[in-house]
Amino acid sequence: MRIAFTPEQQAFRATCRVWLGENVPAEPRPLDALDALPFDTAWQRRLFDAGWAGINWPREYGGRGLSLIEQVIWLEEYARANAPWIGANFVGVNHGGPTLIANASEEQKAFHLPRILKGEAIWCQGFSEPGAGSDLAAIRTTGRIEGDHLIVNGSKIWTSFAHVADWQELVLRTEPGSQRHAGLSWVICDMHAPGITVRPIRKINGQTEFCEVFYDDVRVPLGNVVGGLGNGWKVAMSTLGFERGTGFIADQVRIGIEVDELIATARASGAIANQAIAGDLALLRAEVAALRAMTYRNISEAARTGQPGAESSLIRLFTSELNQRVDRMAVDLLGDDIIDFAYGDPGPVSEYLRGFAHTIAGGTAQVQRNIIGERLLGLPRGR
Amino acid sequence: MDLHPGDEIETLRSATAEWLAGRLPLAAARRSPPGLWDELEAMGWPVMTLAEDRGGLALDHASEAVVFAELGRHLAPLAMVATAVARRWTLLPAKCALAIPAGDGALRALDPEGADVALVARADELATVEISPGPARATIDLTTLQARVPGAPGAPIAGQKAVLHLRLLLAAYALGAADAARDMAVDYAKLRVQFGQPIGAFQAIKHICADMAVGCAVARSQLYYAACALGEDAADAAFHVLAAHMLALRAALANGRANIQVHGGIGMTDEAQAHLPLKRAHLLGRIIPPGAGILLG
Ligand SMILES: Cc1cc2nc3c(=O)[nH]c(=O)nc-3n(C[C@H](O)[C@H](O)[C@H](O)COP(=O)(O)OP(=O)(O)OC[C@H]3O[C@@H](n4cnc5c(N)ncnc54)[C@H](O)[C@@H]3O)c2cc1C
Repeated sequence: MRIAFTPEQQAFRATCRVWLGENVPAEPRPLDALDALPFDTAWQRRLFDAGWAGINWPREYGGRGLSLIEQVIWLEEYARANAPWIGANFVGVNHGGPTLIANASEEQKAFHLPRILKGEAIWCQGFSEPGAGSDLAAIRTTGRIEGDHLIVNGSKIWTSFAHVADWQELVLRTEPGSQRHAGLSWVICDMHAPGITVRPIRKINGQTEFCEVFYDDVRVPLGNVVGGLGNGWKVAMSTLGFERGTGFIADQVRIGIEVDELIATARASGAIANQAIAGDLALLRAEVAALRAMTYRNISEAARTGQPGAESSLIRLFTSELNQRVDRMAVDLLGDDIIDFAYGDPGPVSEYLRGFAHTIAGGTAQVQRNIIGERLLGLPRGR
Repeated sequence: MDLHPGDEIETLRSATAEWLAGRLPLAAARRSPPGLWDELEAMGWPVMTLAEDRGGLALDHASEAVVFAELGRHLAPLAMVATAVARRWTLLPAKCALAIPAGDGALRALDPEGADVALVARADELATVEISPGPARATIDLTTLQARVPGAPGAPIAGQKAVLHLRLLLAAYALGAADAARDMAVDYAKLRVQFGQPIGAFQAIKHICADMAVGCAVARSQLYYAACALGEDAADAAFHVLAAHMLALRAALANGRANIQVHGGIGMTDEAQAHLPLKRAHLLGRIIPPGAGILLG
């Protein structure tokens, strides 16, 4: 085992650092998803033009064809340079695109992948429904086959960026009368198609980032089914694998910077003299270090076996709760200033409120613990 | 960068685990079998990182950390940690007890049987002292005895690296205790039936076990990183070793407690083994406990 990077990897890191140093936008990313859209698309285009979008995507679809290690190095430098969150491009770049690479037809890949990388197409994820959250197999939105189209009816909820999206990863019940995991399909839905209504929902920090989406006889070509009719569960699981599997890579550096800033704040205010606060901050720093070590271990295993290690679910649970501990510490150090928070204010209170999503979105902390208990530790399922 | 142990270390680890399962099963951990120390010596564990020309195995700290985590899982003798560090940084040939200041100027020599030397653990500098321990007394850790010996400055071991080496091995032992507690809890949760199903099917139990697994994975990852940082002379090695030490101790204590809860009434009995990892964790927690200082940078 070793922690040092090879000279080639170090050279790659240096190139990342130089480019980011010269290109990270000076102005901050707007908080609201609608206001941020032009910013997000322009930044994604800039990344693409310079060859930084899709570092580990295949070359034929606009990627660089490099390994996960280069991707990690890039993400580490990205966070260190305080580069903006990719915002509306999150779904397409982090799990829509990778799902297509793994499951889609050549035609689907050739059309969609370059558009995702160039920031020309914004994607959203239509999995959750009012009656199907943790229990995703309870999906009721239907796609009835009519000629060479699916006629879609029903509704989705908590769909992040639906109000700015061009395309959607949509999971539907395409086999009438089917139950649970059977009879589902994963389709590419055009968000500009007639019959779609999007109602944005305000979150507890005042941001409007997710939406309710209604489908009223929406026509989706059968050619937009990914991975075959009736195979939606399998494809959706691969999407969740990407969504849950790689998100943490960028997090670890960002959280580390946040903790160092908290320590500086606590020093400036004198709060660090409080032993309990000093102890908590020291522990956070140790935990951030461990998160990097876990990430490296996971990638090292992926480099050998071709897939991330079984411990991904442990990393995800740990990251989500560590994120929240850091958010809470920031708010604790704020003292009375928490009282002044109003919708639209950026800063620690907004991040703290937004951060409740860490243990809800993409599978709740309870669901993660079920997965760890049953799949990793081999404990029996409850009845 | 590669934090996967790889085939060589894995072979070493599984050989260690196999030997310990036969010779030092947890059920017998409180009465160490006669002649154990000589057998441990013969396995080469105290000289893993010692140079070949001094009779060592010339392995790196990463290999050593992986193996010591296995030893820790079986609550192997604490003197193994002290002896491995003393061998590496001095020329002492024999078994070495682990001593900590007792507050009244004296030392508590831990695991002193058959040792005439102790490694004195201090956060700033290690030292070795000669000891002639009287009759040994119990410690909270039912696998470790102690003797009070007079304090003496002893022969200092120069350099921070020796202290970090000791911390690394203490962290590995603590991780081992955390692993042992997790495995005991998970095994019991699969066996014990209440309300017509194994208790591990209840989320209240399943989620405790999941948290134990997270604690172990966090501590193990940081241990590997720290071992490499120490071996590669990384500038921030001290930070990473301290982080590993702190996280391993936390996992050992948390898992030790949780293991007793998962066992219910039987976990409260002396006869069952559920209390052993917790008690080891409490003892380890008093040996140069990592403070906030270096971690805050
Ligand atoms: C900010 C945000 C963005 C999101 N973006 C998207 C998106 O873009 N696309 C999308 O499809 N979805 C999205 N989601 C939805 C998210 O995936 C769901 O909220 C999540 O899966 C939980 O489902 P639910 O909200 O219905 O809660 P429920 O499933 O009703 O859960 C409520 C509570 O019950 C617990 N619970 C449920 N089942 C179990 C169980 N078996 N064992 C133990 N406890 C259980 C949960 O842990 C939770 O505490 C988003 C959510 C948030 C908060």
